[in-house]
Amino acid sequence: MKRWLILLFLLPVLSVSAQDLWCPEPTNRLVNDYSSMLTPEQQQALETRLVAFDDSTSNQILVIITPSLHDCEIMELGTRIGTTWGVGQKDLKNGLVILIKSKTEEEPYGDVALVPGYGLEGALPDAFCKHIIDDEMIGPLGEGDYYTALVQALDVIEPVCRGEYSYADYKKEDRAALFGLLGFMLLFVVILLLAHRYNKKHPGSGSDNFTGGSGKSSGPYWGGFVFPRGGSSWGGGFGSGGFGSGGFGGFGGGSFGGGGAHGRF
Amino acid sequence: MKKTAITILVIVGVVAVCFLWGVGINNKLVNTEENVSQAWGNVENAYKRRADLIPQLVATVQGAANYEKGTLTEVIEARAKAGSVQVDANNLTEANVAQFQKAQDALSSALTRSINVVVERYPELTATQGFRDLQVQLEGTENRIATERGRFNDAVNSYNKMLRRFPNNIIAGICGFEKKGYFTAPEGSENPVEVKFDF
Repeated sequence: MKRWLILLFLLPVLSVSAQDLWCPEPTNRLVNDYSSMLTPEQQQALETRLVAFDDSTSNQILVIITPSLHDCEIMELGTRIGTTWGVGQKDLKNGLVILIKSKTEEEPYGDVALVPGYGLEGALPDAFCKHIIDDEMIGPLGEGDYYTALVQALDVIEPVCRGEYSYADYKKEDRAALFGLLGFMLLFVVILLLAHRYNKKHPGSGSDNFTGGSGKSSGPYWGGFVFPRGGSSWGGGFGSGGFGSGGFGGFGGGSFGGGGAHGRF
Repeated sequence: MKKTAITILVIVGVVAVCFLWGVGINNKLVNTEENVSQAWGNVENAYKRRADLIPQLVATVQGAANYEKGTLTEVIEARAKAGSVQVDANNLTEANVAQFQKAQDALSSALTRSINVVVERYPELTATQGFRDLQVQLEGTENRIATERGRFNDAVNSYNKMLRRFPNNIIAGICGFEKKGYFTAPEGSENPVEVKFDF
């Protein structure tokens, strides 16, 4: 009897508390600035960029700038917004919420959170999100330059999400680029030398044998070595052709698990 | 003669309708129960993630020059204990969930306490990138745990509601469905916890 009573009390409490939590109404835009921190041109530029990114890779990045968190914890709110709005594709779960709480007179602190969906947690681990916030966003945000903060963050996030490079590459980017270039040059020279030798030894066979004996152009073979990154923009295949000319096609129903990081400014 | 035939037909019809109706309810309950199991899987996953981070924490602290072994003993023990409490997703009774929760809560508090100790004793450690990254990961893990626990409770809520409603409870009794346990706030959690992360 007692347990029955407890449950009776517990059920309404649980269901009410789940619904009463604040969440902004879903819109059909990827950039939502409720604090008027961006000029209309900046908003448009970001929107265009994010829609293009969605069209080419299916990754959806939602930007929300709000003057108040309504007493919610910022990571929790970001997760709730992502889930409620359905940012990212349903099957890939590849959404990202960039939530910025702007400084106001009543609440004189700023807070920024990066909340990736389940599918992007691999590309954007928590510590990496924290690095992006600390290195790319906090500085300009502190000066009130929200646009630069967002652009700098997107410059890092977009290539990572596209699968072009991972977190480790991001940290070693400069060295890696140099080594990569040197490596390719070395490989190129070695292959040329080998080809030269081979042709000397087998003067009758011609260079076509070296490319796999197909007797056709050597294009595919070289392509594999010189442009190994050509095939890496896998996201292109997911492009949603159904979307009209430039407009945002709507959120895909992605889900979020509470990962990510935030930082105050 | 004709009358008995009609009576039999009616009885057979009623039984068939009842049976189909029962099967319908049973299937609905199975679906909802599966949702609970899935939510439980996500909860375990989030906790597992935390357990996996602890060796990293130990290694990072070991990197500190004057590391004392005693600092993290409590966390290591609590981790071992929390890991030993496994609950089968098919047996999520209130007692089982409470037991699982108790072990995990012990680990939570050990972790909070030890990190405070580490931060106090080795202030230079908090300046290192490794420790700060770990801190972010632990925070993210706690967020994930909170999220998945909330979703598990939602799933249990709809399952229990469906289960206990008349006439579902009759079918549930026949087919052996049982009420599932919630995650609740641990004892003493109404008191604020003091955690010092200064970065």
